[in-house]
Amino acid sequence: MRRRLDGFELDVAFQADEGRVVLFGPSGAGKSLTLQAITGVMRPDAGRVEVNGRLLFDSASGVNLPPQVRRVGYVPQSYALFPHLTVEQNVAYGVQRLDAARRRALVQEMVELVGLQGLERRRPRELSGGQQQRVALARALASRPELLVLDEPFSNIDTGLRGTLRRELLDLQARSGITTLVVTHDLDDAFFLGSRIVVIDRGRVLQAGSREDIFYRPATRRVAEFVGTGNILRATVLESNSQRLLLDWQGRPLEAEPISENRAEPLPLSRGQEVEVCIRPAQVMIVREDRLPHLPPPENPFSGTIVEEALQAEAYVLRFRLAGSPACPAGRAAPYDLEIELPDYVYLRLGLDRKKDATISIHRSAMHVIPAT
Amino acid sequence: MNESTSPRRVAARVMLGALAPDRIIFTLAALLLLVFLVLPVAAILVKVARATAPLDALGSPVVTEALRLSLVTSSISAAVAAVLGTPVAFLLARYRFPGRAVVDSLVDLPMVLPPAVAGLGLLMAFGRRGILGGALDVLGLELAFTTAAVVMAQTFVAAPFYIRSAKAGFEGVDRELERVSATLGSSRLRTFFRVTVPLAGPALMGGAVMAWARALGEFGATIMFAGNTIGRTQTMPLAIYIAFQNDLTAALVLAGILVVVSFAVLFTFKALLGRSPLGAARA
Repeated sequence: MRRRLDGFELDVAFQADEGRVVLFGPSGAGKSLTLQAITGVMRPDAGRVEVNGRLLFDSASGVNLPPQVRRVGYVPQSYALFPHLTVEQNVAYGVQRLDAARRRALVQEMVELVGLQGLERRRPRELSGGQQQRVALARALASRPELLVLDEPFSNIDTGLRGTLRRELLDLQARSGITTLVVTHDLDDAFFLGSRIVVIDRGRVLQAGSREDIFYRPATRRVAEFVGTGNILRATVLESNSQRLLLDWQGRPLEAEPISENRAEPLPLSRGQEVEVCIRPAQVMIVREDRLPHLPPPENPFSGTIVEEALQAEAYVLRFRLAGSPACPAGRAAPYDLEIELPDYVYLRLGLDRKKDATISIHRSAMHVIPAT
Repeated sequence: MNESTSPRRVAARVMLGALAPDRIIFTLAALLLLVFLVLPVAAILVKVARATAPLDALGSPVVTEALRLSLVTSSISAAVAAVLGTPVAFLLARYRFPGRAVVDSLVDLPMVLPPAVAGLGLLMAFGRRGILGGALDVLGLELAFTTAAVVMAQTFVAAPFYIRSAKAGFEGVDRELERVSATLGSSRLRTFFRVTVPLAGPALMGGAVMAWARALGEFGATIMFAGNTIGRTQTMPLAIYIAFQNDLTAALVLAGILVVVSFAVLFTFKALLGRSPLGAARA
């Protein structure tokens, strides 16, 4: 499946081959506009939209199918249930051409699919946010679309319920088998729902790839920032060849993998070149003081002090300053060098509640190196 | 707990609020206008009740003819305003086009024009010597001083009331619902009838009722363009005016009927709106 569209302020091109694609980006990135171009309610100035080999829009050949024949199911952010119709009538809205018996059977099937039995006669305003979303999904799925698009599906849902609804959506997608495109600015949504993620910002695609690529191997510093990499360190290349990638980080040696799983060839880095090193906070380890002597020495050890900490749900976020680091390093407001995240029980077991001096270790494979731009 | 937010303090402030000077002023001012609005209506009903043999007037053909004509013509006028006004309201609500502000103002014009001007205008357009008079004569149509003229006069002054309300109703319909309807395979026309019209329904009904009420009360334009022929063009307001000059009791009875009928229609409409699933949601 291919979709492509280019506009004067929106220039987005991406393909979706797998079941679940997430369009991820901050507010105002052009996500909703992209959705509108796909559903056909907005006409791009130029470009091409294709679903399952069917051309929906192509400015070059003048093709522009109206929304009603595109077979693109749309679940808007507000769900947009028809307030004057019952749950049943909402679900049946797109299948009026079927005869009454088949329509009734299909509506029942859809109501069961989303687990709303018993609520068929209710009106939308008598439903909770989660129930409304399920009605909107059932309504979109009833007309058997070739593509299902959801705009910020969980923005109106309480945090506590989001996890459940995400799992339900995943399950529903797997059962219906319909290619699904989700637009979100929520990192958790993106990570949970997307097998493939397209990161967009200011109307441009920054990176498109598998979920793992986006999260662990962001292509640019901006993508790294969007996906919450946490630590993006500026370093200088000391030595780079197929055996070794040695960096200088604030006057300290930092060793990274010259070859990673998605990169058979070493990065073409030259000595003295500036690079960005991305390290997720959860991947920084704290070395136990009673570490057994027969273990190999920790990789990239640094000693320093925890200067700030915050408990977020069940994880501690620690801000760590390297020993000998200036109190206020250039380019940072808060005087710390690394962010570390670890579960609360690990925090307690390591005795970090009493002692703030520690040695940390950054595993070579935990680092993702991007040439600085 | 903060002293000023303790439940007792809050309760005390609410009670004080009811006696606060601003509230008293607003309440008194509101009462003044309400009395002013209700008193004339009440006076008519009181006078009718005190009149000797008021029911005799009901038997007079002048009264029954005027009532029948008024109900028929005002209903037709409201229907015409609704049928022809809906597309206008929809265009004004949904589309930006050159001259939109001009059209919008023209639609409102009959609301602010004195009815006498409206009547004169209709006569100059559709009368025998009006600018379309010759063309209408060729077709063998004579509009002025017929029942059709009554409907035209009423529609002219009443249509803006419908269009105003319908336009606001259409503007209030969430466009996202129409977009979703399109993605579910509905054409624009089907979306209009299945989503837009039902959701704007209360506003459309409200507009039709207001147009009907305005048509029922039409006097100035009617008497100039349609004249005052019993059974053909003499509607209730005209009959009241004529009766007022020689038989006050008949005028009072006619006025009383008009008050009761108008109030019944408005009240029934509001009650129905409150009970409908959409009306309740919007109220």
